[in-house]
Amino acid sequence: MHHYHDDESPAAIAQHLQSCDVCRAEYNSIRRVLALVDELPVPERGEGYGEQVWNRLRWRLGSESRRRRTWQTALAAAAVLAVAFFAGQLWNAKNAAQRPSAVLSPTGQQRAAVAHEGAQDRVLLVVVTDHLDSSERMLLQVANADASRGLDLSNEHDRAEELVASNRIYRQTATQRGDERLAMVLSDLEPVLIEIAHVEGKLSPDEAAALQKRIDSKGLLFKVRVISAQTSGQETPAIPQKGITSL
Amino acid sequence: MTDVATVSRARAGDPDAFRLLVERHSQPIFRVAYRMTGNEHDADDVVQETFLRAYRQIDKFEERANFGTWVHRIAVNCALDLLRSRGRLDRHYGGDPEEAEMSGAASSDPQQDRLLLSAELREQVAAAMERLSGNERTAFVLRHFEGMPVEEIGKTLGIRVNAAKHTIFRAVRKLRQSLEPFVRSSACNI
Repeated sequence: MHHYHDDESPAAIAQHLQSCDVCRAEYNSIRRVLALVDELPVPERGEGYGEQVWNRLRWRLGSESRRRRTWQTALAAAAVLAVAFFAGQLWNAKNAAQRPSAVLSPTGQQRAAVAHEGAQDRVLLVVVTDHLDSSERMLLQVANADASRGLDLSNEHDRAEELVASNRIYRQTATQRGDERLAMVLSDLEPVLIEIAHVEGKLSPDEAAALQKRIDSKGLLFKVRVISAQTSGQETPAIPQKGITSL
Repeated sequence: MTDVATVSRARAGDPDAFRLLVERHSQPIFRVAYRMTGNEHDADDVVQETFLRAYRQIDKFEERANFGTWVHRIAVNCALDLLRSRGRLDRHYGGDPEEAEMSGAASSDPQQDRLLLSAELREQVAAAMERLSGNERTAFVLRHFEGMPVEEIGKTLGIRVNAAKHTIFRAVRKLRQSLEPFVRSSACNI
């Protein structure tokens, strides 16, 4: 350990080595062996090695960051829902407190319970409005594209993954809340969003046409528009004629 | 751009900044990985895994610290994990070095010593390193090549300081048993 200066009394050992031929010979032998070990070659890696490492790594980092963003989106969606429901509960509790309980007949209590559920449903609809609007824009982009030239969705990949993550949360919440209509629209929407998220690069004309047909056959855009309009309190859109309208 | 500024940009999500860090530090990480694993492909895998972990943990990196030291430590842990996963950490290679010497792995014939080519000598050194157990090799590499303090080596291997010292001591003794015949001819020049 003296060689690495890890001994407890290096000065005393150094002094001993000066006066003791046997120990000095031993120590020098160790030093020569360790010098030999220093000759152990390490295979050369060229100047471009760092670049090679990066090229292999960036694919893995890409999926890492996408996964991280998807989780962040899902967490954000869940947090928004939690806050919204909590606000709904508070709003309802406040309204109930303002009504004298003695006045409430059994029929009145039932009405209050219905009003409570209605308030929570409205809260759920409000928080999914943005999600539906974003999904609608994405569907329109696909539906309005000229399929005969193929469809490049490489720039939409990340956004589609985020929408898939949000959609799952909202669909599960709608199911739990018993909002079957919203849950059904979100269930129809999800596989299409997943399909868009799974597109790597450009769709061929046939693939693009198949995706458009899938959106069209389910009347997905119309369903999304209707529920989105109801959520934001707008008038329900008219049933579209054949073909897709623009934003 | 310094590592400090580059790390700062990488933490803000700039992929080009992280690329710069990878390109700057890949070579030294490969060297320590190779010395610990003794295998080129394993060393390449360790380099990849090291930067992947660094990317995941970059938010935990303290900007005042040295990025090279930090990523070096990650590399050592990656190499240890790889050795553990293959059951190589506590395994001895090639049996007893004394047996290897007796069986002719290291000749004591001066005539043969003189004929020994440097390439063969390097092979003998590599073989001597292979004969160390995984713990001995790791402790030795960290102390001899990396200059890591014994206390740090103990922490890295999860052993006490005295045990770390003893592991290094055993490694040096084994290397000496394997390689002393090759330096014997010049031993009289003290």
